[in-house]
Amino acid sequence: MWAIETRNLRKVYRPLIGGNPITAVDSLTLQVPAGTVFGFLGPNGAGKTTTIQILIGNVYPTAGQAFVLGHRAGALAAKRKLGFLPEKFQFHDFLTAEEFLRMHGRLAKMDGASLQRRIDEVLELVGLAERRKSKIREFSKGMQQRIGLAQAILHDPDLVILDEPTSALDPLGRRRVREVVQYLKERGKTVFLNSHLLSEVERSCDQVAIINKGRVIVQGVLDDLLVNRSVVRVELKRIEPRVLEAVARVAQKVHPIDERCFTAEVASEDDIPELARAILEAGGDLLGLQAHRETLEDLFIQTVEGEGK
Amino acid sequence: MGVIIALTLKEAMRRRAFLGTLIILVTLYGLSFLPRAFKEAFGGDERQFELGVNIAVLFGIDAIKFFSAVLAILLCSGAITAEIERGYLAAILPRPLYRWELYLGKWLGVMLFSAANATLWTAMLWVSVALQGEPRVEMWRALPYVLLYPILYGTLALALSSFLGASIASMFTVALGAFAYFSDHFLRPIAAYFDVRLLQQIIWLSEWVMPMATLKRLVQIQVDAILPPGFGERPRFGRPDVLEFLNPSVQPFDMVYVGVYLLAALTVGLLIFWRRDVQ
Repeated sequence: MWAIETRNLRKVYRPLIGGNPITAVDSLTLQVPAGTVFGFLGPNGAGKTTTIQILIGNVYPTAGQAFVLGHRAGALAAKRKLGFLPEKFQFHDFLTAEEFLRMHGRLAKMDGASLQRRIDEVLELVGLAERRKSKIREFSKGMQQRIGLAQAILHDPDLVILDEPTSALDPLGRRRVREVVQYLKERGKTVFLNSHLLSEVERSCDQVAIINKGRVIVQGVLDDLLVNRSVVRVELKRIEPRVLEAVARVAQKVHPIDERCFTAEVASEDDIPELARAILEAGGDLLGLQAHRETLEDLFIQTVEGEGK
Repeated sequence: MGVIIALTLKEAMRRRAFLGTLIILVTLYGLSFLPRAFKEAFGGDERQFELGVNIAVLFGIDAIKFFSAVLAILLCSGAITAEIERGYLAAILPRPLYRWELYLGKWLGVMLFSAANATLWTAMLWVSVALQGEPRVEMWRALPYVLLYPILYGTLALALSSFLGASIASMFTVALGAFAYFSDHFLRPIAAYFDVRLLQQIIWLSEWVMPMATLKRLVQIQVDAILPPGFGERPRFGRPDVLEFLNPSVQPFDMVYVGVYLLAALTVGLLIFWRRDVQ
């Protein structure tokens, strides 16, 4: 079962007076399996926030369909099982942390002892148990983001959509968010994570989708997307043609940098020793060899830049 | 919806609206004692004092109409679009509630707050006048119609706030009210006496834009008994149709019209909020 499914989703903003229509999302087709931590990536203006707003029912699509936990996006049945931390938010800061969570619990149709128990749990989880009686206006930006995270998971939702959850957080705060994501994953929840901090996404996510100009460019299991390529930076006393020929037999791609250095893309890390042997057997004077496993950032940049060309 | 009503009331408190309530309360209390202060300072008989109390009561009712309407405009004009822009609704809208629940919750919250204020102010005015031995029960009879002022202005401001920012929504609401007030108070006598058809049409239009004149008549009929001599009376000479145009009598369908107007404004605002993107 898909936790999120979109079919040819399209959103066009038409200005009321003058100006050209802006296509924010264009034929976006996406499947997010239930129980995964899913990274939703893309450059600024790619259509991520609009997609999320459609999923939570705040924005109506121009065309296409979006389903959340098997229900039409925006339907009450979908909202009951959905938790959301917005990117731009302003909480009712005249409330205390506990009052704020109680209000959100009631809006999520929770009540009584179960609500109080859950408030205690989530405040502990986000590290704000000591500040339960403090007004939100006294919180730092990072603490406000954490109380936002607490309201998102308060009603034990099956799907949690986090829009830039670590944007205002220090490294300790980010670690706590990772722990919360891990906590949700262990309980079989689906986490849909939109973040520009690719290292965070790489650490937390099982699957990713990269979108650009409103379309999905790459989608898949993170390990599958990254494992097949390793980049090795090689430094020789001098690059000679016979060495490059030997390297080309092992590597998929070779990119010269200067007269001493080049990078070689190999299929996997297992090919790196063979690459070193090939250089030595071809008579190359090897000065250094640095393996660099492809990161999500590399994949992201290659994908987005490749799309732009 | 109860959570939204409670939140709107708390929000009103946070905006220091309660402070405004207290200031107006004290002002009304002071106002009601002016006739006695004048009597003690400059002398005068009981009839003049009674007349002074009546004028203070009528002025007090006008003040209650005005301030409760202003309060409703201030609270309603920033209730939807301004809250979306500030990010207040970002975490509330994804909750399992319909948009109409949010809209009506906000409307009811503001209306409850405005009604409580207007009732409190009326009570203060009534008590202070009664303490001087001049109870005016007409105030309580007029109160349900006085409450229609904040309801009318608040409903309109909320409808406009479903697609406009706070300052523009309040500006438009005040402009519509001003148009209706100006047409009724200034254009009507000119149109009646000089028989200017265009002005008559403008006045007719203003009643559709905002039923201010209807509300004025509904309140006036409740306080007719305490009107000072010469106030609110029909002119004695003139053609009957001109006199009726100048000072229309209350019609049975007046309240129905006000109700339909409120329902229409509420529905239009609700439909816009229901269909708009919230981002």
